[in-house]
Amino acid sequence: MQQFAILIISLLLFACASTPGKVSDNAEFRSLVEDAEEAIDKAAEVGGEWRDSRLILQNAKNEAQKGNLDKAMQLAEQAKIQGEMGFKQAKEQEKIAAPWLF
Amino acid sequence: MKPPSKKIFFKYCCQATLIIFTGLLSLNLHADPASDKEKFQNFFSKKFSGIDFNEFSNGVYAIDPESRAQWKNIEEFPPYVFAIDEGEKLFKTLFITGRTYADCLPEGGIGIAHSYPRFNIRKNQVVTLAQEINTCRQLNREEPLPWGRGDLALILAYLAFTSRDKEISITIPSSAAEAAYNKGKKLYYSRTGQLNIACAHCHVDNAGKRIRADILSPALGQTSHFPVYRARWGEMGTLHRRFAECSELSRAKAFPLQSEAYRNLEYFLSYMSNGIKANGPGARK
Repeated sequence: MQQFAILIISLLLFACASTPGKVSDNAEFRSLVEDAEEAIDKAAEVGGEWRDSRLILQNAKNEAQKGNLDKAMQLAEQAKIQGEMGFKQAKEQEKIAAPWLF
Repeated sequence: MKPPSKKIFFKYCCQATLIIFTGLLSLNLHADPASDKEKFQNFFSKKFSGIDFNEFSNGVYAIDPESRAQWKNIEEFPPYVFAIDEGEKLFKTLFITGRTYADCLPEGGIGIAHSYPRFNIRKNQVVTLAQEINTCRQLNREEPLPWGRGDLALILAYLAFTSRDKEISITIPSSAAEAAYNKGKKLYYSRTGQLNIACAHCHVDNAGKRIRADILSPALGQTSHFPVYRARWGEMGTLHRRFAECSELSRAKAFPLQSEAYRNLEYFLSYMSNGIKANGPGARK
C-alpha cells in the first residue's frame, strides 16, 4: 500500500514538473508584445498606423493562448515590424511628400 | 589667390542644387490655392479631353460609357430618393427645445451644402456641414448623430438636394485657412498604409484605369455628389465614411470620421472642385 502511495505521488510530481508554463507567460513573448504595442502606438501618434497591425498582435496573443509559441512569436514580430514601418513611412512623408501636380 | 579645387567646387554645386531643390519643393507645397486649382482642373480636362467640365461631378460615369449606361438606368429611379424625403422630415422635426435645424444654419440650411466645408475663423478650423448639424443638435439638447451613416446621412442628402446645380464655392479666407488647405493637400499626396500609396496615386495619376474590376474615378468632382447611396453599403453614407474606406483599402488605419485630418482633406478636395455644379446625393456602385 505504501509502495502504491509513493508511486502515485511520484507520478503526480512528475506530471506537475513536466507541465509546460503558459506560452503567454513566456518572458520573451511578453517582451515582444510590449515592443510591438509600443511600436504601433508610436506609429499612431504620427498618423502612420497600418490597418492590420493591432489585429495581427491580437492573433499573436490568441496563438499564445493556444500554446503555439512559434506562431505567436512570428505574429508579434510581424506586428512590431508593421508599427516600425508605419512610423518610418509617416515621418518620411512629412519630409518628402509633395504634390507633384502643382 | 588660388582657384578652388574641383572637389570644393563640386561640393558647393551640390549644396546649391539641394537648396534650390528644397526651395522648389517647399514652394510647391505652399503654392497659391487658386493656382493649384487651375492646374488641377486643367490636368483633368487634358487627361479626359472632350468631357464637359461639369460631367466630372459624375465620377467614373463621366469617363466610362458602359458604367454610365448602367448608372443612367439606376438614376431613372435612384435609391437615394427615399433618403431625400426622410432627410427632409428629420430636418423639419422639432427638437425638445421647440427649435429646428433651420434655426441654427445659415439661410435656414437650404441651398448651402455647395459652400461647405467652410473655414470658421472663430474656431480656427475647417467646419463641415455634418458638424454644423451635430453642433445644432447639441445646442438644442439632443444627442449628436453618428458621423458615417443613418439619420445624419439622410439629413445631408436632403440638404445636398437643395444645393443641386449650384456651383461648388469653397473659400479660403485667411492664412490659417490656407494652412488647413495645405494640410489637406499634403495628406492627399502622402503615401499611407501597408500598400504605401497616396490618394493621388489612384485618383490623379491612374484615374480612369482599372483596379481589379473597378475603374478609378478622377479626383476632380469627387465631393460634389455626397452623401451617396452605395450598392456595396446598401444604404446612404457620408463623405468621411468613404474617406475611411479608402484609407483602409490602402491598409492604413483610418482616421476618425470628422477628425481634423479628414476635414482638411475635404476642404482641399472640395476647393479643387470649385465651379463644378453640385449634384448630391448620388448613387454609386
